[in-house]
Amino acid sequence: MSSLKELQDLIQEKFDIDPSTLDPQASMREKGLDSLALVEFLFAVEDKFGISISDEHSNVDNLADLAAVVDKLRAAKAVPAAPAT
Amino acid sequence: MAVAVTGLGVVSPHGDDARAMFEALMRAESALRPVFPDLPKPAAAALAPFDAARWFTKLQLAGVDRVSQLAVAAADLALRDAGAGSGATGTAEPERIGVYAGCGMGGAAALEAAYRSGGRVPPLTIPAFMPNAPAAHVAMRHGVQGPVLTYSVACASSAVAIAEAAKAVERGEIDMAIAGGSEALIVPGVVLAWQAMQTLASFEPDDAARAVRPFAADRSGFALGEGSAFLILESAARAQARGARTYAHLAGWGTSTDATHLTKPDAPGQARALRAALRMAGLAPRDVGYCNAHGTATRIGDVVERDALATVWGDALDALRVSSTKALHGHLLGAAGAIEAVATVLALDQRRLPPNAHCDAIDPACALNLVRESGSAAPALNAAISNSFAFGGTNSVLLFTRP
Repeated sequence: MSSLKELQDLIQEKFDIDPSTLDPQASMREKGLDSLALVEFLFAVEDKFGISISDEHSNVDNLADLAAVVDKLRAAKAVPAAPAT
Repeated sequence: MAVAVTGLGVVSPHGDDARAMFEALMRAESALRPVFPDLPKPAAAALAPFDAARWFTKLQLAGVDRVSQLAVAAADLALRDAGAGSGATGTAEPERIGVYAGCGMGGAAALEAAYRSGGRVPPLTIPAFMPNAPAAHVAMRHGVQGPVLTYSVACASSAVAIAEAAKAVERGEIDMAIAGGSEALIVPGVVLAWQAMQTLASFEPDDAARAVRPFAADRSGFALGEGSAFLILESAARAQARGARTYAHLAGWGTSTDATHLTKPDAPGQARALRAALRMAGLAPRDVGYCNAHGTATRIGDVVERDALATVWGDALDALRVSSTKALHGHLLGAAGAIEAVATVLALDQRRLPPNAHCDAIDPACALNLVRESGSAAPALNAAISNSFAFGGTNSVLLFTRP
């Protein structure tokens, strides 16, 4: 499962950035998403997937890395935590 | 050193063309409409038609409240009108330009969205809400690196901002000022708060457009409006040197404070501001032919303003034509002084006076020579004032003359 396509759709919907113009490996900051816009985008990502992206990932700067983080969080969400013993 | 007004820009309830707005005012077209039918008590307001996409990409809109969007648009229109350009194409050095912006509240929509978010508060609520955001966004848009200041003085905010900008131009501190204000607080929570204040006009369900009746015997208060207006100010010498069109000179201004009550207006305080403006301009009351009144159509406010004018104008009061255009565009609060300054400057420029609408029977306690419904030509008009009297007791009067 990769969330990349959904993230590309979301960034287009929210900021009008065409996926074909944003290389998943390229820096989003260099594409014009300053720290404020990035914060808003991460908020929208959290809303869309019902996940919480912790501060340790706040430096993620490209869509591919973000997709990897989102994948992990969605997978963790899908599997119920093992009961404590 | 005379201060010249060389550009006008508005995003108003009557659209984003300053001259078209003035024509709508001349025709006594009301922009007031019912809003928020779900509220317990009927509400009317004047919303500014606005397409943010003309000034912002979606990416640029991140964390930018409507109050700042309107400001960026109005300031941009004013600069274009002045032929002043900006950035690399500008006629002034970036650090020699200032932004002086009035704003009463800040980003009301951002704050309301935060309240309603159910705990998921948008992360950019604070930078969207802060009252100096409109001025900062105007500065960033045009690369303005001189003083970028915000004045929050309730209903006098943008009149004070314009006066402060003129001072800076006069002192030679800056070459050009982008001066005005912005307000956008027509959201349910804020409308409820204003209703609770008991200063808004009551109206019949199908008569919202005529809800505001300044100086009329049957007046019952104001309605909120939203929008932004900016004026470009520069020294008359500089305006002349660069061949700019000069609409008017800002020949005088007066700022005073009642220091009597937070919300109750005070005629002696207002009279001090009126006298100060006349004194600075070196004019006598009879030299001023038009007053764009504060005229909020509250029971007490209109009488006090009339008394202040009567005190200062004395025998010359009958020669002073008066109208409050708030009947048509509502009360823009922190942007009121700026939008009414634009109306006053255009009245002077065109020697035509916008009407005091919806006043079928004048209150005898407000005896003034009101401009009647059809508007009026004023072929001998050479000077005009715009009054802005604020909660908090601060009074601001701007006095414009023909160049």
